[in-house]
Amino acid sequence: MEEFFSRYKKELTWLFYAIATVLVFLFLREQLADKKASRIVQTLISGVLVGGIYGLVALGIVVINKASGVFNFAHGWMMVVGGMIFWSFFTVAEISVPGAVLLSTATMFMVMTAVSLRSLLEPRNLLIAAGGVLALTILMTVGGIELKWLHAIVGTFAGAILTGLIVERFTIRPLIGQPLFTAVLMTLAIAEVLHGVTQIAWGTVELNLPIFVNPETNRRFSVIRLDGLKDMLGGVTIVRVELVIAFVLAIVAFVGFIAFFRYTSVGLAMRATSEDQQLAQSVGLRVRVILAITWAVAAFLASIAGVLQGGAVGLSLNISFVALRVFPAVLLGGLESIGGAFIGGIIIGIVEQFGTFLNSSQQVGTDLAPYVVLMLVLVIRPDGLFGEKRIERI
Amino acid sequence: MKRICFLFSLLAMVLIIAAPAMAQDMMDYPSELSECQVDLTGETLTIFHFGDLSGPYAFITQPVVSAVTDAVNYWNGRGGVCGAMLQQIYEDTGGNLEATQSAYDRFTSEYAEELDLLMLYSSSDGELLREQLAEDEIVSIISAGSIESLYGEDGMTPGWLYASNPLYINQFGSFCEFVAANPDTFPDPVIGFVTWPGAFGLAGTEPAADAYCSGLGVEVLDEPQIFLPTDTDILTQVQNAIDEGATILYTNSLATGPALIAGTLVDLGMESDITLAGVNWVMDTSVGILGQRVLKPNGLPSVDGMYGSMPFLWWTELSNPGIQFVTQQFAANERGPAEQNIAYLLSWAVVDSIIETYIRTVNAVGSLEAVTGADMRATVDSMEYSVLGGLVSHSFPEGMRDGTLNRIARLAYANATMTGPASGPEDALLIPDGSGGQLFVPIIIPLTDFMPVPQLRGQ
Repeated sequence: MEEFFSRYKKELTWLFYAIATVLVFLFLREQLADKKASRIVQTLISGVLVGGIYGLVALGIVVINKASGVFNFAHGWMMVVGGMIFWSFFTVAEISVPGAVLLSTATMFMVMTAVSLRSLLEPRNLLIAAGGVLALTILMTVGGIELKWLHAIVGTFAGAILTGLIVERFTIRPLIGQPLFTAVLMTLAIAEVLHGVTQIAWGTVELNLPIFVNPETNRRFSVIRLDGLKDMLGGVTIVRVELVIAFVLAIVAFVGFIAFFRYTSVGLAMRATSEDQQLAQSVGLRVRVILAITWAVAAFLASIAGVLQGGAVGLSLNISFVALRVFPAVLLGGLESIGGAFIGGIIIGIVEQFGTFLNSSQQVGTDLAPYVVLMLVLVIRPDGLFGEKRIERI
Repeated sequence: MKRICFLFSLLAMVLIIAAPAMAQDMMDYPSELSECQVDLTGETLTIFHFGDLSGPYAFITQPVVSAVTDAVNYWNGRGGVCGAMLQQIYEDTGGNLEATQSAYDRFTSEYAEELDLLMLYSSSDGELLREQLAEDEIVSIISAGSIESLYGEDGMTPGWLYASNPLYINQFGSFCEFVAANPDTFPDPVIGFVTWPGAFGLAGTEPAADAYCSGLGVEVLDEPQIFLPTDTDILTQVQNAIDEGATILYTNSLATGPALIAGTLVDLGMESDITLAGVNWVMDTSVGILGQRVLKPNGLPSVDGMYGSMPFLWWTELSNPGIQFVTQQFAANERGPAEQNIAYLLSWAVVDSIIETYIRTVNAVGSLEAVTGADMRATVDSMEYSVLGGLVSHSFPEGMRDGTLNRIARLAYANATMTGPASGPEDALLIPDGSGGQLFVPIIIPLTDFMPVPQLRGQ
């Protein structure tokens, strides 16, 4: 018997998948039998679109994990900080020039000293830094309120890079060579610090972030009504434009990052670093710089997610909890898989929505269903759907 | 922040126009506090409080600290209360019950002698500490509590917690009365809960409330539809309730919660078919601002016309001296516009209530050192007091632990002449939001007088 299982392990696994799929299908068929087709389609649409935002959040967590092996519990608070920075630039008619200079200078200082402080002693680097400060400051302050999008995007970009680099330089870098668990605990501490910083800088009041507004009418984009399907589905089905925009941006980010990791030298270096930091260093890769880039990238991704979530429902400290809801998606897709993060996000989004559709009063959608799915998948595939299978030789 | 500044600058302007008498000199304290029979010079009265100042409810609770700070400074600047200086000691629990327990343990061990009265913020904290407060004989004041926190699991055992607002379940009952009394506005009323989870969110969903409402001809759906403060999309929950037959959606949520439901109704094109209502927190300024993200087809914000409980006076009711006074203090302390919410208002009221309780108790026992929790409880039980000149009523007769009066109000937006609600964007008061857009100015319109709430607990 043992030999049989060992020999047909792969086939048996797929058989298990097939049986599980059939059972899930039969269960859903039973549960959905008396539901209107329009509701089922609507739930699916909502799940996919919400899942897109989850996927984007998951991507930031995976990027850090992929490069450094650290599971970043501070990602939710990096979302809040990014969203708040965007809000600060987006809703202010006149940007403070000294403030913009300060932000640009701090960002360029952190960028130029990613390797060491001595980098700034080289005239060429000093010139680059000065040019960077000038360019960022101009882009953040040029024109009036009509250029608020430019101000906000550049300001958020600089702020996110600065946040990521500060976190890496002062908290993660000193832990290189220490057990990974120490760095994971450090991210918990970072989360609390960012929490405090956010409160001091922006307070705790809910903020309106009107980014999904039609500039011609100054109103939020109308929903898309799928009236053509009304007769066929037996009811109205709608699509929220802001969620579609968020979803498209998420896809763009994923495609961009897959390409970045696969085709750029920095991306390849990140992959190498994630495999073995010491080995990467021994072949001449600057592990410190790569880690710094990784944290900056993750902070920028978190900022995008924070802005999109804040634009969809309002900007508040609660946004940080979205990252907690994304953890099942990250584990489901596989901790190191960029594509897995996206697909995991979509799956968890759909599962949440259908759980809520079938039983909202017991919070099945948010508190139970995602974790049951995650548990089942991890039992079958401990590394997640697309995670790298690790073989440890003893 | 700038946009909100504009809004509140305008509100401040409105206040000054409406109440010229209050605009110049600092007015007298509006409450008729009991006369001090004991000189407390050299003593210190401490206002203890802790709760969620940085977690999910932070955006509504943070002005608590500001209001208590302002009240403490106000009294200390005038020689204190009966000569005693005021101070506050507080802690942020972040909405975490373990932190709540830890704060309670610290307070009760470090301030065992002085801690006779404690101010709490949330129902969950109240439920956690109910038995401990009774055991340690500490009176606790909270703005609104759940049945379990105030009356125990059986709903019949008054504890040491007192709430100034009516129980959420009683607020819901009074809303049902309002619906039943207005059949033209609410034909065939069926209420579905679309609400947050937890002790607060589900506090109105009790069989007793359902039965009471049914008796009035208002059906209540069995299953609440629950959503989280972090939800991006709640179309599924709203559609579930509507599919079940709801014509009125009722929510125990705040800030983004009601705004999200209202926005979803507009998305579905059902804003004129389905009524939205909620507990007292839905009437807060934050909802009026966040609800502007989505506009109805008539051009007004999605939350325009939402019903809610209003068991206390509101900022715009300037004929009341308590409101005038708090408004004046708010301006004098240069508080940020975002703090002009429910919490700031009610915290001034709670401090006033605490001061009166201390004065009466010290008068009765002879000195501050001699005051015990039991003495404070006896005072609170017997006290009939109009807090801050009528802003809230403090009366807990016959074992009551929550407020007994409520009224129903409607959230609307001011018209351009500031004489009433706008009927559309054409006649609405619109102010620049600081980023090229415009903001509507939210106002609250009371629809009923203060009425006794039905007592639905323990049924």
